[in-house]
Amino acid sequence: MVMNNIALGRYMPLDSVIHHLDPRAKIMVLLFLMIAVFIPAGAVGYVVIAAFIVVALFLSKLQISYALRAMKPMIWMMIFLLVINTLVIKTGTPWIQWGWFSVYSDAIYQTLYIVVRLMFMIILTTILTATTKPLDLTLGIEKLLKPFEKIGLPAHIIAMMISIALRFIPTLIEETQRIMNAQASRGVDFENGGLKEKIFSILSLIVPLFVSSFDRAEQLANAMEARGYDPNRQRTRYKVLKMKTKDIFGMAMSVVILGVCLGIWIL
Amino acid sequence: MDAIKVSGLSFSYDGKKDVLSDVAFSIPKGCYTTIIGHNGSGKSTIAKLLIGLMSPKQGSIEILGQSLNEESVYKLRDHVGIVFQNPDNQFIGSTVADDIAFGLENHCVPQEQMQDIIEDVAGRVGMLDFLNSEPTKLSGGQKQRVAIAGILAIEPEIIIFDESTSMLDPQGKASINEQIQKLHSEKDRTILSITHDMEEVAQSEYVIVLKDGHVVLTGTPMEIFAHEKELASMMLDIPFALKVSKELTKEKITNQEVCTLEEVVNQLCQLKSTI
Repeated sequence: MVMNNIALGRYMPLDSVIHHLDPRAKIMVLLFLMIAVFIPAGAVGYVVIAAFIVVALFLSKLQISYALRAMKPMIWMMIFLLVINTLVIKTGTPWIQWGWFSVYSDAIYQTLYIVVRLMFMIILTTILTATTKPLDLTLGIEKLLKPFEKIGLPAHIIAMMISIALRFIPTLIEETQRIMNAQASRGVDFENGGLKEKIFSILSLIVPLFVSSFDRAEQLANAMEARGYDPNRQRTRYKVLKMKTKDIFGMAMSVVILGVCLGIWIL
Repeated sequence: MDAIKVSGLSFSYDGKKDVLSDVAFSIPKGCYTTIIGHNGSGKSTIAKLLIGLMSPKQGSIEILGQSLNEESVYKLRDHVGIVFQNPDNQFIGSTVADDIAFGLENHCVPQEQMQDIIEDVAGRVGMLDFLNSEPTKLSGGQKQRVAIAGILAIEPEIIIFDESTSMLDPQGKASINEQIQKLHSEKDRTILSITHDMEEVAQSEYVIVLKDGHVVLTGTPMEIFAHEKELASMMLDIPFALKVSKELTKEKITNQEVCTLEEVVNQLCQLKSTI
């Protein structure tokens, strides 16, 4: 029941070219394209990026509906932006004029502009998280952050924290469900009631969840220590990443797109 | 040489009330020992002290002839493995293979050797088909078997089980007890199991009974079970097989009391053959 609500950003176990790319390459492509999205390169730039996204989405074998579903929570954001922009921006040609209320062309363009950017970003991140296992993503982040260890950034500790957090999400969801059931059987109503009742019922869920999480954390720390984990010592790694030609090609493509957008902007 | 030697061990969580006071015992190499006692008798505290997660207030711990202290603790952890009570809270990796690899990574085992070791130990606990499974898809007993595999990968001489079967269903419990038996008979491995399960106690070679932080009884399972009244006062019951055996000897059907189901069955089978 709770599981369905976190479809956004979930890994989809399919077998595609994009799935088999090196996570480091995918993160770098995302980074380059994110920068490209923010360069004001006009319609041409956006068409180029959109073409890349369509190709990537096609190659990833993800369903279009899955990508669209990821954008559902954005609708309210879009409406909010539209309202703010029509009220604030009063330049360009006036399209609608009813007494004090007026809508100018620039307001619409500005909104579209932001919405397209956001859509690109969401689709790109969705493709990344849907085609990369969380653990591979963590490993990719760790390897990419490795050079920063020289200036004191503990990349392997950050990676360990992320992977443990990811590991315990399903466990904590299960626990939440169990506590909710236990409290419901004692008469706590999670669905009905006013604000005051709602706050009380949520508290009856949060407090036991926190207590058990701290307990869990201590036991986990003990287990890790007993198995010889010491963050300050050298460790070997079970999983290794290997860059292949297609990874280099993917990154090259994204650099080209970034270059095109930069070129249009500067020239 | 003793695998574990504890003398004059005292420990307190709050500095006032001693959870353990003046505990002393030694476990010879290759011995399968169980520690029993009621809740709050200090059983689990002993496990935490032996693995060096906490340091004692007084007394000394020797593991394989070496004294356990701040400096030796990391080295001694290569020789001691522990399986805890909660199957979920000791599963660190995202999949079975990753979890077994965790210990190997910590012990700096070269990457090329890892896959072979993982497959070997997973096979030994019967989890080879689950290498890519996530913990949420496994039962408690399976998770505990993975925990055992993770420890086997390091090949420690001593393995401690800290109430490892108390959160499992009867099936899971039986499978873990079977694993413990196998681990003990396989090699000259020392096993220390902290438990509530009297059937498991009957299987072991040496028993230590704790009460309020003191060692009150030590001996073989049969010697311990002879103190039935004292055990009952600590809310500990003798195994079902022994109860049956006692009734059988009372009725003069068999002539010797035994404490495992296997032995009772053996006696009865022999009986049949003489008729």
